[in-house]
Amino acid sequence: MSGGLTKAPATHWVLRAFGERIALRLPVRALAVIALLLAGLVVLFLISIVTGSYGVAWGDVLQTLTGATVSTAIDNVVWEFRLPRMLVAAMVGAMMALSGAALQNVTRNGLADPSLVGVSQGAALAVVTLIIAFPEVTPGLRPPAAFVGALLTATLVQVLSSGGRRHGSSISFILLGIGVAAFMSALTTALLTYGDINRASAALAWLAGSINAASWSDVWLLAGALGVLAPALIALSRPVAALQLGEDTAIGLGAAVRLSRYALITLSVALAAMATAVVGPLGFVGLIAPHAARRLARAGVGLTLVMTGLTGAFLVAGADLAGRALFAPIQIPAGIVTAIIGVPVFVYLLWSTAARQNA
Amino acid sequence: MADVEEVARPTNLRRIAPAGAALIMCVVIVLTMAVHIAVGAKQLPLSTVFEALLHKNDKVFDHIIIWDLRLPRAILAVVVGAAISVAGALMQGVTRNPLADPGILGLMAGASFAVVTALNLFGISSPVWLPVIAAAGALVAAVVVYGIAVWAPGGATPATLTLSGAAVTAFLGAFISLMHIMNEDGFDQLRVWLTGSLAGRDLGLLIYAGPPLFVALIAGLLLGRQVTVLSMGDEVAAGLGVKTGHLKLMLLAVVVVLTASAVTLAGPLGFIGLVIPHAVRLFAGSDYRLIVPFSALAGAAYLTAVDTVARMALQPQEISTGLVTAMIGAPLFVFLVWKKTR
Repeated sequence: MSGGLTKAPATHWVLRAFGERIALRLPVRALAVIALLLAGLVVLFLISIVTGSYGVAWGDVLQTLTGATVSTAIDNVVWEFRLPRMLVAAMVGAMMALSGAALQNVTRNGLADPSLVGVSQGAALAVVTLIIAFPEVTPGLRPPAAFVGALLTATLVQVLSSGGRRHGSSISFILLGIGVAAFMSALTTALLTYGDINRASAALAWLAGSINAASWSDVWLLAGALGVLAPALIALSRPVAALQLGEDTAIGLGAAVRLSRYALITLSVALAAMATAVVGPLGFVGLIAPHAARRLARAGVGLTLVMTGLTGAFLVAGADLAGRALFAPIQIPAGIVTAIIGVPVFVYLLWSTAARQNA
Repeated sequence: MADVEEVARPTNLRRIAPAGAALIMCVVIVLTMAVHIAVGAKQLPLSTVFEALLHKNDKVFDHIIIWDLRLPRAILAVVVGAAISVAGALMQGVTRNPLADPGILGLMAGASFAVVTALNLFGISSPVWLPVIAAAGALVAAVVVYGIAVWAPGGATPATLTLSGAAVTAFLGAFISLMHIMNEDGFDQLRVWLTGSLAGRDLGLLIYAGPPLFVALIAGLLLGRQVTVLSMGDEVAAGLGVKTGHLKLMLLAVVVVLTASAVTLAGPLGFIGLVIPHAVRLFAGSDYRLIVPFSALAGAAYLTAVDTVARMALQPQEISTGLVTAMIGAPLFVFLVWKKTR
């Protein structure tokens, strides 16, 4: 590392302020990637707002967005339907991506994804139970229920996989998750067949991972959750960095390993649960986004997390747009689109991850 | 002479014990079938069940219920349970993978996907072709899952096989949901079938799916001896004079036919092929000459019993049988993985 300091690489900008009391070493490429992702998101937003069964001209959209009223219909379409939907898609994507990143860092397992290890299924089971068994409860209680369900599942998988000989990094964590997830899905489906048909179809629509019912209350809920949880996740990124070197090394470096591990798992579960509570299980985003971000640019843990969140946002916003535009007027839930993209990525990662573990 | 006798006695016992156990299993199957037939929306006494089966009387309403509605379903449970369990046992032996199961390794997803595609996109619903199409789907899925696992560095270990099976299942599942959304009307019936159900199945399918199923079942029983050798590893098997490549292809064909017929008849019933061979191995040891036939018997009894539970647990509604098998099988899967990490 000392050699790197004398020949300051041209790939970084060093920002110094307050008489060098604060110095930030900013990787150029990562910043460029972040800028590109943000620009891409804006482009997706614009395309998404003009795309749909009700045709809206570009000029009208821009006027409406600046606050002017072109017509009540356009106002309605833009402000009540398309804008909240885009925002929800982007935020849910970011949350699932961050959740996956945290999970991968804690378990040091490149294949971890909230939808693969039972976290999404636990949340789904809790929410479906709520919809079917307690229909009088308001939808506002879905997020806490999802959180409890997801946390219990995550704890179960974690307890089962810890304490073994091959602690931590082993693929058995994923295998256990797959088993627990299968059990949870069976229970969920059984509830659906047992429950009242109207409630069951409400639950089914939610289960497909569809974003079409997004409203402003969802937007504010997600924005609040993201605003609290994402900074907390990034703040915990230093102990995470140490964890990536292995548990023993991390303890040797003075990281509070147990504490940060539990904190990160809780954060990861909370992010996935909030996202799941609003739009339903959304597969593979938490798997793809962290890997994509790592490949786009090398950066510190914090910036990588920012890139991960943006990648996830871009991914789900794109998936939602594709899902509703490709086969219009039929809407394909974003969850299906992300699964179709995600599985080949999973296979690719399986090939490369297995190599690393056997090496 | 004393030595010979000492050797001979356990050999005799080894011959007699399986026969006795098989007899007991057959009795168990008959009893579970009788209970399966007796319970339902209208409870029938067991005596009526046996009377109807032995002396059918078309004028007695209960006999008509039994022959037309309940017996077909019980037969289906026996046949499908045996087929899936044998498929699972053979897969576990060939891949030397305790986690192998036609559901876990993606074969059922392949068969379901093929059937759904045929019904939805091409409008093929002929009972002649559905088993063939299902077999093609299962075969392709098996090859893809195995290919992915083999290409993973480290080879086709239980872990990589399971992961690639889960991946292929998720991928095909997404496409099945896609077809569901594109054609909601045509999907209502398939929705129940896709969770694995023996309810209201057309026995006409058994005419076409049955014969290949039975041929594959018998082939599986006959191949038990070679599977035992294969389960000791390819090198040992080759050293003992088994043509491993040839044998594996035959076993693949058997497993694919068994899975495809079972899926055509009852939809994807998960985890039976995992649970039953493990249960059988507790008693039968590691000899596939015993594991395969006893898996068939135990699987038949198991699915019949599970289907009874599925019909009765939440009366008057019915849970899909596949959900019950998953609820029982998934914890066993978790336990097997958990035990390996200890």
